[in-house]
Amino acid sequence: MRCSYRKKIIYGVITILIFIIFSHPGLYGRSSYEFIEKHNILKYLHEEVNVNLTSNAFTNCDYHDIINDETTLSPNLIEGDLVEGHGIRDGGEYIPQDCRPKFSTAIIVPYRDRAEQLRGFLVYMHTFFRRQRIHYRIFIIEQVDSRPFNRAKLLNIGAAAAINAGFPCIVLHDVDLLPLRPSNLYACTKQPRHMSSSINKFRFVLPYLTLFGGVISIRTSQYKMVNGMSNEYFGWGAEDDDLYSRLRACNFKICRFGPEISQYHMFSHKLQRKGKLRSDLLSFARKRMAADGLSSLHYLEVATVLHPLFTHIMVDL
Amino acid sequence: MVSSALTIQDILPFRANNKKVDMDAFLPFIVLPFLLLIATISRTITIIIMVVIGMGVLYVYTRPRQKNRSPFFFSWTMSSAVTMFLVFEIIILGLLEVTQLENFIFLLLLACTCYFFYKMKAIADFELATGSSKGKEYSPVLTSDSYYCQVCQIEVNERFFHSIWWDCCVLRPNYVYFLAGQICAFATLLFGTNLGLTTVCQPFIFYGLILLPEDCNDAYYEFETPVEKTCERIKRVK
Repeated sequence: MRCSYRKKIIYGVITILIFIIFSHPGLYGRSSYEFIEKHNILKYLHEEVNVNLTSNAFTNCDYHDIINDETTLSPNLIEGDLVEGHGIRDGGEYIPQDCRPKFSTAIIVPYRDRAEQLRGFLVYMHTFFRRQRIHYRIFIIEQVDSRPFNRAKLLNIGAAAAINAGFPCIVLHDVDLLPLRPSNLYACTKQPRHMSSSINKFRFVLPYLTLFGGVISIRTSQYKMVNGMSNEYFGWGAEDDDLYSRLRACNFKICRFGPEISQYHMFSHKLQRKGKLRSDLLSFARKRMAADGLSSLHYLEVATVLHPLFTHIMVDL
Repeated sequence: MVSSALTIQDILPFRANNKKVDMDAFLPFIVLPFLLLIATISRTITIIIMVVIGMGVLYVYTRPRQKNRSPFFFSWTMSSAVTMFLVFEIIILGLLEVTQLENFIFLLLLACTCYFFYKMKAIADFELATGSSKGKEYSPVLTSDSYYCQVCQIEVNERFFHSIWWDCCVLRPNYVYFLAGQICAFATLLFGTNLGLTTVCQPFIFYGLILLPEDCNDAYYEFETPVEKTCERIKRVK
């Protein structure tokens, strides 16, 4: 009898140990996190338009109904076509005609070798933005050389182009992510915002609180203050964490909208090669901030073409 | 239905008889992870391995019966459970896509399953130890509810069947625990595979309520080991 009593105690202790070990918070994604409530969103938005924006409309656009929109778009829109008379100018720029927009946003998309995804992305995003009544322009920055993909440097180049065009707000966007809710307004909040916090590929769960990859919105003034992103990250990984540590070094906090609004659909794709030096680069992120970024951007611009749906900047890094 | 335990000797007639018990108990802990590792190479190989394992089980059931109690099948059950648990907790959780509540529910269901099967085995062993016919091959008077279990080589009352996968008889006293354990095991497996598949594959929301896996085409593209990914993510959190 004593033997079986001892066995029971051992089993009980093992069970409790297992529960304790696997309750460590670092092992889990988060389904709930601190976010801006829906009724507070308009208060937290930063309203600024391009200095040279001219609009013939009489009234300002009202965004209350857009924020409270409960609809979800289907990713199948990528297979459709744009409406006739869409009014999108060359270079992928659109200004709503029926009212004066309060927000100007440049959407910057680093790209290489995914032509079919790009086509679907453009059709979807232009359809998506029609419902948001913002002034926007889509920049596609393509890396034409054969070195590993350097997402951060391409974003820096796009941001520089957006700053030249006078945009006060930029959205750094991955080409394989589609926003599912029109209430997810593509405008800048007062603090940098992590927009893609609820991606279908990650079970609509935020893997860790300091995640800053996918889609982010940041004011150009703030982006210049942190000297943009680091240009050294060739290959997949860690350039978004580098940007996060730069923002923390300048005492910026990031914000998010709620999980229902921030839903995104990610296209499946083959896994890229991981960058070799990414952990070393990340550990010295703050020290390199001043010397490595927008201020040290050296590249060869192959061409800039104003396509009907986007501004195409081809670069050799 | 009578279902006797087979030893490896029955399946591989040329094995030596030495160290029979030790090898039988440890073999599944080596064979099963190895088979599962091979199965991760590609979708075709996964299907082939699963069919091979299924056919092996059917083969086991059709072999002629022997009387010896073998720990191989119980070891197979244990190694399956341990492998699935480790794969879930280390690899699936390492992708940081499961919430704390979901893992807690999974661990709770698993604990209930283990408890019920432990009670079932404990009662069966207790019946064997204190049965009235311990040590005798046959009872002089066979009543309608007494059976002779060939595997345990003992006579037990009210035997339903002998389960080789749990290496014990399922009797009337422990049948409730057997059923409860099966139901909990089914719930645990369903929940665990839902969490695992929605993590690895592209999920979609079914009628706004539950996540179901949809597109598993990129499940075989992973090159990096999940351990490396976990370490990197923990570093980022810090």
